[in-house]
Amino acid sequence: MRSPARSPFGAIFQNEVLLNSKRVAPYAMALLFAGNALLWWGWGPATGRGWATNADFFIAGVLPVYSFMTLPLFTALIMADPVIRDLRTGIAPLIFSKPVSRAEYLLGKFFGNFFVLVCCQSAFVLTLFVLQAFRKPGMIVQNVKVFPYLKHFLVFVVISHLVLAAFYFTVGTLTRNAKIVYGLGVSFYPLYISYQTFLLKSFPSRWRIVLDPLLMNWGKIDGARSGELLNQLIIAYDSDLIVNRGFMLLLAALCLAILYVRFTISERPGSVEKLSMLNLSTAAERVYYDLDSFQETRGHQFERPDSPESEVLRVIPLPEVARANEGIRANVNKLIAALGVEFRLLLSERSLVVIMPLAIVLSTLDVAFWSVAPEPSFSAAYGGNTAKSLLLFLLGITIFYSGEAMHRDRDLRIEPLLWSQPIPNYVLLLSKFLATLLLTLVLILLDALVTIALQSMKHNGPIELSAYLRICSLILVPNAIFMAAAVLMLNVFLRDRYVTYTVAIGICTSLFYLYSLGHNGWLYNPLLFRLWDYENLIGGANQSQILEHRIYILILAALFIGLAHLCYPRKPVQNRSR
Amino acid sequence: MLTIRELTKTYSSGIQALREISLDVPAGMFGLLGPNGAGKTTLMKILATLLEPDSGTAEMNGIDLITDKPGTRRMLGYLPQEFGLYPTLTAEQTLHYFAKLKGVHDKKERGVLVDALFERVNLASARRQRVGGFSGGMRQRLGIAQALIGQPQLIIVDEPTAGLDPEERIRFHNLLAETAGENAVVILSTHIVSDVSSLCSQMAIIRQGAILASCTPQQAIDQLKDSVWEATVPREQVAVLKSDYRVISSQMLGGLAHLRVISKAARPSEEFTPAAPALEDYYFDLVNQRERAS
Repeated sequence: MRSPARSPFGAIFQNEVLLNSKRVAPYAMALLFAGNALLWWGWGPATGRGWATNADFFIAGVLPVYSFMTLPLFTALIMADPVIRDLRTGIAPLIFSKPVSRAEYLLGKFFGNFFVLVCCQSAFVLTLFVLQAFRKPGMIVQNVKVFPYLKHFLVFVVISHLVLAAFYFTVGTLTRNAKIVYGLGVSFYPLYISYQTFLLKSFPSRWRIVLDPLLMNWGKIDGARSGELLNQLIIAYDSDLIVNRGFMLLLAALCLAILYVRFTISERPGSVEKLSMLNLSTAAERVYYDLDSFQETRGHQFERPDSPESEVLRVIPLPEVARANEGIRANVNKLIAALGVEFRLLLSERSLVVIMPLAIVLSTLDVAFWSVAPEPSFSAAYGGNTAKSLLLFLLGITIFYSGEAMHRDRDLRIEPLLWSQPIPNYVLLLSKFLATLLLTLVLILLDALVTIALQSMKHNGPIELSAYLRICSLILVPNAIFMAAAVLMLNVFLRDRYVTYTVAIGICTSLFYLYSLGHNGWLYNPLLFRLWDYENLIGGANQSQILEHRIYILILAALFIGLAHLCYPRKPVQNRSR
Repeated sequence: MLTIRELTKTYSSGIQALREISLDVPAGMFGLLGPNGAGKTTLMKILATLLEPDSGTAEMNGIDLITDKPGTRRMLGYLPQEFGLYPTLTAEQTLHYFAKLKGVHDKKERGVLVDALFERVNLASARRQRVGGFSGGMRQRLGIAQALIGQPQLIIVDEPTAGLDPEERIRFHNLLAETAGENAVVILSTHIVSDVSSLCSQMAIIRQGAILASCTPQQAIDQLKDSVWEATVPREQVAVLKSDYRVISSQMLGGLAHLRVISKAARPSEEFTPAAPALEDYYFDLVNQRERAS
């Protein structure tokens, strides 16, 4: 029997590891996870409570939270497109023409990428493991341990993400659309929280454990117990946990089995049909040969057509048209045209069909299912509540769809066509900025309409449109402008969509972490997270401060757009000495 | 007339793509012929304002193509070697978009122009179809249609027939021939000699970033008048003949080698018969000579 390392599976596995080793994302992820471990070690719950940072219960308690916090998104990032990349780069036919079975190909792809993912994730436990050698004043560290890190990492992180990875990989490969997987990655938290809140909560505790992929409900330890007692605790896996893990492994196998059955290496039937039909339909009508040049040159293989019509070159004259390329009006017209196309292209993103309704449902969940206190009025409470919940979605949509708009031209190789047109750089940049902004404004509008409808359905009148307008104009719209401008600048500076996603998400996570620790200053909280209430918008001490803050972030937004314009890679005029 | 003087480009990797290239390109179809990696695409990109040269000038109708990029883009029609289109837009939406970007803002005029362009490139029946479903030939035809918007004075087509089937290639030649008759400078960059011989009134041969020759195809062929000989010989003789004569091509036919050689002085040997010179002979001879010299 052939060793797997020498089989096509092994070759594909190794190649995936090699390909990933040349990407930035795995290193950035590993760095992020190591930083996360450092935070848990030095500033996590162990400090001040007398818990040992390498106690068995601490390791087992930290890992499910780590697994939940950032990993689903990164799992989606790594597992979305291994097969899509092959199809996109055109290497797929070369691979499929080799003696490689579907199972070998798919498993090689899956496990190669999953191995890279696990390597990145292990940066967290490795950092915790290394940090056993260090201690801060007042920190308790027990004797050096190895096995608990390995065991708990495997059980709480690797198996959980094996299911997610198998699911994302299956969806990405079958739909051949990575964006759907990224959409699922982004919507993991709302879906998971809804699943916990609405479904699992009503189940008996045993089922809550068995059906929870991230094991967030297992082994809740009473934090009130003394640190000394907890440090002595050895975590043993009970039958519920073992059943859960077995169930998850089965689910992963099921996903891969579905993928194996449904995966096809052939061209999608729709596109094949179009190609063959269109290519041949009109070909014979206008083919002609210049007889002299045909006879002079060797290598032509075609007979001259007999049709007398084909002897004459039928030139279709192009009409003279007036062109306007100078002046503001001409450029505004071009901006409107470019904006129209950019917005149309954004709307054609299939992931929006999932993301927009999901954002609206989850941001209005609170006001839809719980009673709302009329403080100071029902409309203000409904609008304020929804606006606060919508922030995360506005952020996500801005980051991801701005990335789409900014990098689409390069991905589709349409950049040389566009860049050789007589259009100024600001038209190209502003069209992308405004299209993203328009998308977020549409979301804000739809969300407001749904909130108003909910308020009306729950008979919590009267409906004050002015309250909604105030919240939108003072909070949501300036936030949307700022986010779109900031992400535009990041995209121009970093030049790579995935680096931009990572940096933008990293900045947001760090800022929100700082805010949650209480460092919530006006200067570095551009979105006014936890810094406003409706009362502040209609008067009170903070009203002028909020207004000044809004002007401040709009100036920042203008600055970001200006910087993006300056650094845009398409140079309008060259200044060089010749 | 497009005038290029001492254009030089070295990439950051150290590859010298262009070495002080100078060319005069008159109106009509101009073929830029060269093997892969000769520097054709670099030159095309510089002329299309997408790449900065290290030094040199390019000027047309009083416009400096290197420094006056907005001015250049107003008179330019460019079809790159590799390009994409928005797959979710229809062909009609795509052309309307490019027409607007070219400054054709009047809706009625634009509609007439787009209709004529579809007729010219023979895509009228597919105008409402999404570009994502187009074949390679249809995409190229749509590509040339967008390049023709707004009466461009300088049209650059970079390897337009690479990857097309023979039928689409001839169809594309027709399109280019129609375009060249409109007083514009049309630069056709290609490595296919027959594309140049059947389409271009002027040509230049580029290799390793330098221009080896610039003339008309007929002048090139005339230089080899009474100098090209062909013979079918046993395979074993090929090595000897190659060492004695300037062999420009050898091709295996039925187990024998069919050779074409250049000999200006006299018939190489008895088995050789005179052959009509072709542009391929000139091209291969020039490239082979340079290879031998280097």
